[in-house]
Amino acid sequence: MAVKAPESNKVFHCQWRERSNEYLVTNDFGYFIRLKPAEFDRWTRGKMAKTDKCRSRLAERGFVRDCLNFEDLASKWKKRNTHMFLGPGLHILVMTLRCNHTCLYCQSGAVSAGSKKTDMPLEVAVKSVDTAFDSPRQSITIEFQGGEPLLNWEVLKQTVKYAREKEKRAGKELKLALVSNFALMDKAKADDLMSNEVSMCTSLDGPRRLHNRNRRWRAGASSYDVTVKWIKEFQKQHDSQSGRPRIFKPSALLTVSKYSMAYPSQIVDEYCRLGLDTIFIRPLSMIGYAAKLWDKIGYTPKEFVGFYRDALNYIVELNRKGRNIKEKTCQMILEKLFNFEDPGYLDLMCPCGASIGQLAYNYDGAIYTCDEARMLGWEGDGLFKVGNVSEDSYRHIMLNAATKACVVSSNLEQQPMCHRCAYKPYCGVCPVHNYASQKSIWGNMTANSRCEIFMGIFDAVFDILKKPSNEALLRKWTAKG
Amino acid sequence: MRNKKITEEVDSSLYSGEALNLAASIFYDEAEIKITAKSGYNKIDVGAAGNIFGEFLNEALNQQCRIDLAKKNSNISRIIVTRALLSALGEK
Repeated sequence: MAVKAPESNKVFHCQWRERSNEYLVTNDFGYFIRLKPAEFDRWTRGKMAKTDKCRSRLAERGFVRDCLNFEDLASKWKKRNTHMFLGPGLHILVMTLRCNHTCLYCQSGAVSAGSKKTDMPLEVAVKSVDTAFDSPRQSITIEFQGGEPLLNWEVLKQTVKYAREKEKRAGKELKLALVSNFALMDKAKADDLMSNEVSMCTSLDGPRRLHNRNRRWRAGASSYDVTVKWIKEFQKQHDSQSGRPRIFKPSALLTVSKYSMAYPSQIVDEYCRLGLDTIFIRPLSMIGYAAKLWDKIGYTPKEFVGFYRDALNYIVELNRKGRNIKEKTCQMILEKLFNFEDPGYLDLMCPCGASIGQLAYNYDGAIYTCDEARMLGWEGDGLFKVGNVSEDSYRHIMLNAATKACVVSSNLEQQPMCHRCAYKPYCGVCPVHNYASQKSIWGNMTANSRCEIFMGIFDAVFDILKKPSNEALLRKWTAKG
Repeated sequence: MRNKKITEEVDSSLYSGEALNLAASIFYDEAEIKITAKSGYNKIDVGAAGNIFGEFLNEALNQQCRIDLAKKNSNISRIIVTRALLSALGEK
């Protein structure tokens, strides 16, 4: 809810949420404060005395109209919204739609490993890299995805080389990342990738049985075994490195299916066992293959939030015992809350990261606002296609109607529920999800599953922070260095 | 099959023609919706396979709130959108 009080009340524009006998109040600068009902009542009625201790807490956070420190508030706002001033930083190259896995929930539109028609040709990859470098952003990330990108290894290898050369010519900072199931990884490929400072990311859905149930290798072998083997190998290489080239710690993504629901602590334990220091708990996307199988592998937003809460509570307990493991979504929310930083999380941006924060380059050169949009395109709906690397300039892509539509519709100031929501300063909507699930890029947040999930995640984070000892613990997740 | 037909009249001060038409566009593949502007109200004819009239009105209300909000927040919205697009283009 939002408060618009008369001038005499001295309440500056804010949003609030009533939960568990307290009011969580936030403002657009990113400050938050918890108020007891009596305090909230005194403040909003304009009955708070200047000597009231609560008033000074409110004033220093930009909630009192006649005590605004504009310099501080403006700098906080700008810092937390850095993405609005930089241009697209993430460039996803879909090297092939072929995949050697048939994951239950795959949204990438993977085709079988034999069909090479969906491999990205080198000239398309080169033009994609050129387009990525046309972004005004000084630091860009090129992420190689699929399908399984290693199935198009020769092109991937040449593209990495070309991108590194281009980096030198352009004078920009380039990060390269590979998202792979590691099934086709071997020493030669690993050495080549590491020598070019490519960071490695894979999918790990938990212990062997659960992982293999969600992620099936077409060959019939254990996906878990090969994934874990290479996580350990890249960990070893990371731990024993000596300077250049930098070898990055491998990371893994968790996709939660219905089968994961009963195992929050076991999944976290698996990540710990492998020495991974971050777990990124992500819900299934209702786009693509998963949508068709929703009755079998899906769940309600409430069920996901319950899982998330259990996992997060368990992670906090592990941290209390000295174990170093963080949950990624929570960590990025904490960056916004405590450091007023923009962690670059494209899902929680206003406007969203579609086109202005990221671009997805399909194997055929078609460019989409994001990877989810690319998936919709593969299903035959090209609404979010913004250009083609062979035909369109970077400027054309940014001036495309789909780019503009995404920016306008994901602006929370124009979203009826969001503009009054206490989590507005930290949240974001997804026009592609809205369109896929509610047939309108604007969506309707009163019945939006993504909104319900993020609302639940924010509630879980703020509930955990309520306990001072938890807050002290979680602040360490955002510490630099 | 558009076998269920419903005709209702709604107050145009609550549900503007613009909001009703926007909502109708979202239900284009589920229903035949005809909106006729009358003095002080809008007449809605819905033909659909199921009972979607309630959902349609919910969506119309959502669109109406969005239209009202756009009028109220148009300045700040324009600044945010323009800034984001100009930055992505590399223009100051």
